[in-house]
Amino acid sequence: MIGEKTNIDKAASVGNYLSLYFGQNQGVRLGESTVVSRKAHRRMPEKRIKGQIKILLNRDAGKTYLDYVDADQVVHIDTYHKPGEINPLYVARAIFYALENYFLEQNPQLQYAEDERFKMVTDYANRIFITTNGGKGTVYDLFQGIIRPFIEGEEGFDHVHVLVRLNREEYYLVYVIAEAVEEVILQSEVKLAKVRNITHGNQKQAEESFAGYIKLPWKKFKGQQARQLPAKENVNQLILKLAEKFGGVDEIEEFLDSYSTNVFKRKGIDQQKKKWGDVEHYVEQLEELGLLKDTPFGKILTRKGLSLKDFVMNHKCELETEIRRNIRRAPSGGTSRFKKMGKVEKKSQQVEFTNRNKTINNPEKNWSGDLAVPETIVQAKKNSFLRGDTRLRIQKDDLHYYEKKSYIPIDICLLIDASGSMAGDKRQAACYLAEHLLLTGKEKVAVVTFQERSSKVVVPFTRNERILRRGLSTINPAGLTPLADGIMTALNLIKDTRVRNPLLVLITDGVPNTPLWTLDAKADGLEAAGRIANSNVRFICIGVESNRYYLEKVADRAQGVLYLVDDLNKENLINIVKAEKRTMLEAKRSLA
Amino acid sequence: MIPFAKLERYEGNESLFELVLMSVVSTLVGEPLHIHAEGLRGTGKTTIMRAARGILPNITRIKGCIYNCDPERPHCPQHKNMTAPELAELGTEEIPMPFLEISHSAKVGTVAGSIDLSRLTDSTQPEARLLPGLIPQAHRGILFIDEINRLADTSPEITDILLDVMGNKPGHIQIEEAGLPVVEIPVSVSVWAASNPDEDPGPLEEIRRQLSDRFDMVCYMGRPDSVDILAQMLKENSHAYKNKRYKDSHEEDDPGNEVYRKNIVKWAGLYEQADLPDFLRNFIARLYIKHNLESIRAIEAMQQGAVLHSIIRGHDKVLINDVTDMIPLVLKHRVDGDTLIKMINDVDSRSAKDGILTFRGRKNKKSKKEDEPDYFPQNARPLKDMSRGELINTEKTLTPSDY
Repeated sequence: MIGEKTNIDKAASVGNYLSLYFGQNQGVRLGESTVVSRKAHRRMPEKRIKGQIKILLNRDAGKTYLDYVDADQVVHIDTYHKPGEINPLYVARAIFYALENYFLEQNPQLQYAEDERFKMVTDYANRIFITTNGGKGTVYDLFQGIIRPFIEGEEGFDHVHVLVRLNREEYYLVYVIAEAVEEVILQSEVKLAKVRNITHGNQKQAEESFAGYIKLPWKKFKGQQARQLPAKENVNQLILKLAEKFGGVDEIEEFLDSYSTNVFKRKGIDQQKKKWGDVEHYVEQLEELGLLKDTPFGKILTRKGLSLKDFVMNHKCELETEIRRNIRRAPSGGTSRFKKMGKVEKKSQQVEFTNRNKTINNPEKNWSGDLAVPETIVQAKKNSFLRGDTRLRIQKDDLHYYEKKSYIPIDICLLIDASGSMAGDKRQAACYLAEHLLLTGKEKVAVVTFQERSSKVVVPFTRNERILRRGLSTINPAGLTPLADGIMTALNLIKDTRVRNPLLVLITDGVPNTPLWTLDAKADGLEAAGRIANSNVRFICIGVESNRYYLEKVADRAQGVLYLVDDLNKENLINIVKAEKRTMLEAKRSLA
Repeated sequence: MIPFAKLERYEGNESLFELVLMSVVSTLVGEPLHIHAEGLRGTGKTTIMRAARGILPNITRIKGCIYNCDPERPHCPQHKNMTAPELAELGTEEIPMPFLEISHSAKVGTVAGSIDLSRLTDSTQPEARLLPGLIPQAHRGILFIDEINRLADTSPEITDILLDVMGNKPGHIQIEEAGLPVVEIPVSVSVWAASNPDEDPGPLEEIRRQLSDRFDMVCYMGRPDSVDILAQMLKENSHAYKNKRYKDSHEEDDPGNEVYRKNIVKWAGLYEQADLPDFLRNFIARLYIKHNLESIRAIEAMQQGAVLHSIIRGHDKVLINDVTDMIPLVLKHRVDGDTLIKMINDVDSRSAKDGILTFRGRKNKKSKKEDEPDYFPQNARPLKDMSRGELINTEKTLTPSDY
């Protein structure tokens, strides 16, 4: 047995190694059953070798599990075990006491300063989050018996999942915690599981597979009539899934046509990818559902696939409604992360209208608005009666007037970077944003794109969904990024159209590389941004972290706001634009 | 207007016809069933619901009571405290089950109640009294709201009242009028609504989630897809045909409607006796747990609907199919499409033919490797048994470099 004294050194040397490897963006196996890193971990079922754990380099642990905004704040300690129940309360208690003992050993003086010691341990206890298959919570909460339930499918079903917010100097505690956790597992009569190997890699965006639970009706069943309804619901759902990916009914048809036997309609996989992003997953799913099949001439639609296409064509009306309904729905991922920089100070004009359905009777306040004559007379008659007047008298507190409401219309112009790098999912996300804005708001939406050497108005300011759709479907990302040109086109569009409180939303994943006036693309971009500042247009820019330096300058010159996101996905985009609209409305309200 | 019995039935609107009948039966017994028809423009949502006025049975009320007091259980402020002999003296009368509509220009006063103007302006004996609004007057009957999404958007006050009325069974309503005491009375009204989710301001659940959850069932109307049915519809609606029918029938009532009315009374009698068997009740409860449903209203509606459905279908006991038929109606507005499909399919495979024989089900099992219990074949040594050199391993040290 190794003595107590050396145990301390063990922890410290583990701490040293951890800060070395974490610095290199690596994770390690600590002992045989524990994996430690600052990233998320996953099993690797796709590999033949069992017992492997993959460290997902693109998923920071703090961001993934605790919704942190900054990376590298959290150390992720997973101790794998064989199947068995682990009570999180025991784990919490063990960690708590292990920490206390460890501090005592390190600094024996602490035994006389109980308060101080307790404060230290509680401080850490608040920074340690545990999940086991028995429940979850911070060590502090669990210690007091507050336990949140384990949810199926979450982290922790086969391991004790510990997240600790630690600074570099504190990494030695990882050893202390891991040892305590192992102790509890063994005491619970569960065996520790050996992690054979660890690998590092990126997580592929987990695509949902729907082929598993959708059942299509085009099978030869007897007495099918009885089960018509669920079958129809299934087909509907399948099409909605496809619509989520491809955009709309027309796009689904186009996609299915790429697998028709008509050579002129077929599209290669590269062409599809450019338009819709990663389609392979969907092709696989359709194959699994038996809608596509391999032939010597490539994949083609099966008979079932053809009936799906027929269904789409025959039920366009209902399907489009359902799709629009889905687009209207606010994105469920409410925890999208973005950084906001800067503030807009611009006056906005509001529209007032009278609500004839509601009258206000408030003698205290001076009324401003139309007098509601019938209500006033009824009120006067009633009050006269209650006052005991002999005849009808109208007094000030009988007056009813119609309520006035005001709202701030915000017409939005999306300025979308359509350079080559935006192809696929980012393009789809931007299109989705445009449709969502049109369907959920009462205001007009316009779309301007810039690519290669010029820019164009894809959709003029409109409330017409058909025009929007048609315009969006022409966006085909390719080429360079002429930002200045894009900004000028958008500004001219806004100037030439009668719009109210225009908001210009720039969505880009790069920096300009095609100039407009001079030879310096970036300088031209800034110059154009300067012209936004001189107009009455509000400006926000949505970009990615790596271009922060330049985009900050653009937003600053345009007197606008910069939003930085990890990923230009539709949830992020929608949430940002919504947040921006909200701030515009609130700013107005506070002025009023 | 074409009588209810003569309206064209096809696959897409069949469930609305059933829902209407179920709701009328339930209302007659005194348990409201709130239904909402959603669908495209001109698919007949409103037509069917309004036509149902023709099949409503009669209810008995205390004579002249505008609150429609049940002689057995008076509830209005006027009759609530009367003794049985006093009530008997008032007598009873039969009226058709109320069917009232909230229009879009409605104000809180007209919906809930306001001061009675005619009494107030009575030249001989003026008096300040409450006049119950549409909702209290529709007690034991049906309240119809067309384009409910628009109403929810423009009149949040009326929506709040509806939330109260539909919150429980029976619900309640509070009538306030400055200068008069507040009156609070229970109301048992089935609210029927129609809307087109595709028109401004969008589907109800996006506007007022609570209100959308108050509806026990939502029915999605489909378009007719058979030429015969469409031709028949055109014929029914053609000018010549309408004229002919008008000349032929002298009585207002269609004999078909009369059959419905009789059936409804019969069904109501059955419904008072019927109950859900325990195993089905457990089945519903398990659905709630398994699929993480939120609103208990959903499963309550499922129970109520299943019993009603079995009755109007003429079964003498509730079958599992009655429950599964309710799933889309009850849940489509409450859960997302994926969950619904999972529920429908899951339930189906249990009850129907394609259980054992499909290969697809087996294929999918392969993808569930995540929870493989023996993913870690070996046991590990605990940390404290290890020497210092073994403590830390990286990907490099763990991967054998040569074979």
